[in-house]
Amino acid sequence: MNSLKLLPRRIFAFVARDFRLFVSYRMQFFLRILSVLTVVTTLFFISKIFAGFTDPQFTQWRDPLASWLTGLAVLNYFMTGFSSLANSIRQEQMQGTLESVLLTPINLPTIIVASSAWDFLETTFFSFLYLFFGRVFFGVQFRGSFFLALVFLLLTTVVLACLGILSASFAMVFKRGDPFGIFLGAGSALFSGVFFPTQLLRDYAGSKLGNISLILPATHGLQGIRQVLIEGHTLSQVTQPLITLLGFLVVLLPFSLWIFGRAVRRAKREGSLIQY
Amino acid sequence: MSAISIRNLSKTYPVPFRRLRAFFRRPVKDPVEALRDVSFEVETGEIFGLIGRNGAGKTTLTKIVATLVQPTTGSVSVHGHDSVSDDEHVRRHIGLSTAEERSFYWRLTSEQNLMFFARLHGLSDRVAKQRIKDVFAKLELDEVARRRFGELSTGNKQRLAVARALLANPPVLLLDEPTRSLDPLAAARMRDLIRSLAGQAPPVTILLTSHNLAEVETLCARVAIISRGRIRAIDTPRNLRDLTSGSETVQISLSSGEKISFTRQHDDDLLDKNIRELQTDGKRIIDIETERATLLDVLERFEAADEQS
Repeated sequence: MNSLKLLPRRIFAFVARDFRLFVSYRMQFFLRILSVLTVVTTLFFISKIFAGFTDPQFTQWRDPLASWLTGLAVLNYFMTGFSSLANSIRQEQMQGTLESVLLTPINLPTIIVASSAWDFLETTFFSFLYLFFGRVFFGVQFRGSFFLALVFLLLTTVVLACLGILSASFAMVFKRGDPFGIFLGAGSALFSGVFFPTQLLRDYAGSKLGNISLILPATHGLQGIRQVLIEGHTLSQVTQPLITLLGFLVVLLPFSLWIFGRAVRRAKREGSLIQY
Repeated sequence: MSAISIRNLSKTYPVPFRRLRAFFRRPVKDPVEALRDVSFEVETGEIFGLIGRNGAGKTTLTKIVATLVQPTTGSVSVHGHDSVSDDEHVRRHIGLSTAEERSFYWRLTSEQNLMFFARLHGLSDRVAKQRIKDVFAKLELDEVARRRFGELSTGNKQRLAVARALLANPPVLLLDEPTRSLDPLAAARMRDLIRSLAGQAPPVTILLTSHNLAEVETLCARVAIISRGRIRAIDTPRNLRDLTSGSETVQISLSSGEKISFTRQHDDDLLDKNIRELQTDGKRIIDIETERATLLDVLERFEAADEQS
């Protein structure tokens, strides 16, 4: 049976494994739900401070709570996109199970997809919780096509997953000190417009610093999702961020897979697959 | 076609970022040569032993066969598939069992662990469940099937590693110290299982690495002695023993309490002659003990030679 036919079975293997590991720590699950509710509640009260003070040029920020919640939900997803694989690889290295996994007849793309699958499911749940709590408890309104927003979410996540593959390659070779995680983790929160409009960065920090946001895929993804969910834009009105994201994907996907293949080969040459 | 074919295999572990370290004037270690020009073949259904001291290169060799480490030069093929260019096929043909406890998920049960690996091997859940049941029965692990891996005894962890290696019915098994943590009874049963796997149809080829030389001697048709990354000798255990000494000391105990000792060559007729003489004299033989060179003597001889050179 070829690898493609076996892909769903192998993804399921990882998901089932990670689900079992997840439920073996039940307390953590409930604490995370509580933490999301606490964050949403806090943001609701902070948003009340700004009620009526929003600059009309920032159309996506008329209801700051809606913007923050979409920002946080999506940031959560993006963080998973670029950190999940590196974390999975690193965890397997630390546990000593990476060799056992690599000993099965499974190819690299399968490992990449399958080992992150559970993280995405888990993140989808918690990202949804931000929007759900906002809507149910604090009356936040979302409009526009959820399907189009989902397309943006998936596309941006795949682009960020490519950076995640680069990050995993780094973890495979250098074990620690992953610059992608540090740069993208801190960078996305600050420069992508999660908590405030990116225009403000340009206004207050100058165009050089402000333009950093343009090279981050998360900025374009978040912009597209907010245009759809908050402003109710249609496909024809969001082509610019869509094309930008596709451009990122075309460049990053083959490059990151190539780098990951080289990283695994290097670790095999050095015999350092299970070292961490 | 041989089950495992190893040709002119060498492995030197490179020093990571050697040039970078040199640039920053950091101390640079020398690359470690783990294997040098290793060549041998293992036939289908053969139990082939690999013995040597710690750091001799056994684990590196096993990992190269298992596609986990890439050779520097030379090649390894398993049932005709190259371990580098066709690694996915090679992994379909092998099962590896090591004494490494960390290779399982400690918070999952034995059954859940094996189910995960069975799915990665592409087995459907129905087939996987049956295979897991079979290997648990074979290795007497039924009682611990639902216990978390972290709660298992060291011996059971070891047996579970062998069970995992057998999951996909591989035609080639790489067993690293399969009886290391087992009690004597369990170790004997493991040896029986290894023998039966090699004897079944279709036979399983086994590459066995062990520090238990008596076990290697009992199980293996041929043994390779590896020292400092080089294969020093490959032969049957008996022929290897003869490399050290072709003689053995025989002690015959008689019913009278008398003991007669003599040294003989393996191919002479001194033993027959002495027994005949004793029987002619009307003496009753109650025991015959022989003391011959062991694989340990052979190993020591090669190590001593290496140290001198």
